[in-house]
Amino acid sequence: MSEHAAFEQAFAAALTGGNSTLPGGPDIARALTVHRNTSAKAAQDALAANYPVVAMLVGDEPFAASAAAFVAVRPPGEPRLCLYGADFPAFLGDYAPFASLDWLGDVAALERAVVEALFAADDQLFDGSALDLERPLTAHAAMRIVRMAGPGASIWLAHQPASDLGALDRIEWTAEIALVTRPGGAVMVTAIDAVAAQFCGDCNAELTLGETAAAAARSGADLATLFAALIGAGAFTTLHSGD
Amino acid sequence: MTPTAGLGFKMEHLDEALSATDPGLWFEVHAENYMVDGGPRLAALAALRAQHPISVHGVGLSIASSQPPSRTHLLRLKHLCDRTQPVLVSDHLAWQRWDGVHHADFLPFPRTRAALAHTADNVAMVQDTLGRQLLVENPSLYVNLPGHAMSEAEFLNELALVTGCGLILDVNNVYVSAHNLSFDAAKALQAINGDAVAETHLAGHAADSDPSSPLLIDTHGAPVNAAVWSLYAQLIERIGPRPTLIERDDDIPGFGALIAERNRAHGLLTGQPEYV
Repeated sequence: MSEHAAFEQAFAAALTGGNSTLPGGPDIARALTVHRNTSAKAAQDALAANYPVVAMLVGDEPFAASAAAFVAVRPPGEPRLCLYGADFPAFLGDYAPFASLDWLGDVAALERAVVEALFAADDQLFDGSALDLERPLTAHAAMRIVRMAGPGASIWLAHQPASDLGALDRIEWTAEIALVTRPGGAVMVTAIDAVAAQFCGDCNAELTLGETAAAAARSGADLATLFAALIGAGAFTTLHSGD
Repeated sequence: MTPTAGLGFKMEHLDEALSATDPGLWFEVHAENYMVDGGPRLAALAALRAQHPISVHGVGLSIASSQPPSRTHLLRLKHLCDRTQPVLVSDHLAWQRWDGVHHADFLPFPRTRAALAHTADNVAMVQDTLGRQLLVENPSLYVNLPGHAMSEAEFLNELALVTGCGLILDVNNVYVSAHNLSFDAAKALQAINGDAVAETHLAGHAADSDPSSPLLIDTHGAPVNAAVWSLYAQLIERIGPRPTLIERDDDIPGFGALIAERNRAHGLLTGQPEYV
């Protein structure tokens, strides 16, 4: 290993492990603290930006503590911090200080889907014209389905700027499925029922539209209403897989 | 590029940025924030690009490393440059990547001949891949590492000579480094080959939040201070006008306050003292 590489290795180890073998005494220790703080702050700020509802739910200081704990064990693996924190929902599920908030991991998983939807490719939205029952209906790149044990979608929606003050009080404590889409310039979250979720899942599984629709009809769905809701939400793209 | 002054772009200022008509105004964006597949952020960048020249400023190439830049990251940068057609593309004389971890900061290294050779190889790889010149910026330094074989100015001058890269001279970073490492900022600025300087940066700094620490920290969280303005004016007098960026990444004020700082730099560059 070159001296240059050996320095990087020793510096990186001192940053992450805290034990410096670098020469330089208190000066290097102080600089290491500055760099450790700066890089940790950048990663923690990224988590706060990517999980704003989780931060609102637990409060700024508890959130900062959980973010710091996560950054210590799962630091960024690449420079795109706008996508950092894919494992944060699973981490929160096991994070002891939030053990009593057993619904928090679900909300975090939904927020992750929102970030993914925000930055997904600009697929053309399917407007419902030119239906072809013989071909699959293709999910839009931004479309995500998040299944939750609690009312994660309603909790998330109640913490959006456009939400009214009574939204939290109206939440019914029941399992929810969230549909995440990006119909215009903005991400949209909709609570959907199991039949709608199955319909979207079947589309992802590349069943033909005819097969997907027949399965939904057997489950008792009003196909016209279901279709209008999903297309209106921007769940599908005009691109057929295989094109 | 005509040497005018630009502003670090903040998404919350999009509408004001789109309608701004200040002569020569350009915007600098952090490359990594736009390395995504699609969505409103890329749409905003395209809209901004339709109104103003864009400079793409990276924080993640890790060019002063013994390892080559991540191929994936480099290709993402190329894709962004191809779609945005920026007037300037830049990153820092620092490293971030080691053993699968990205340290989101600008890490120092001993400026040895070997480090210069590695950095030059990395800069050449970036320039070959992008098909354009890269500008390399001096970071803020917090410790005088043992083992330097050359000054930062000597290192940057030779890097520019060997690779044909340009330099971003961040006057605030020189000021902060000079304070932290006890050298003369004005002399350090004078040691930089002015012909290689393609852009300058101006930003604010702060005292370390640890009161026992004597360090200044490059926070980008305050207006440019008087000493940095003075050093900047001396630099421009020596090397002539260069595209100049006002950076602000924390405690961000309204667009008007940032434009006022930007216009001060613009006035200095264009010899219009009413701005100053």
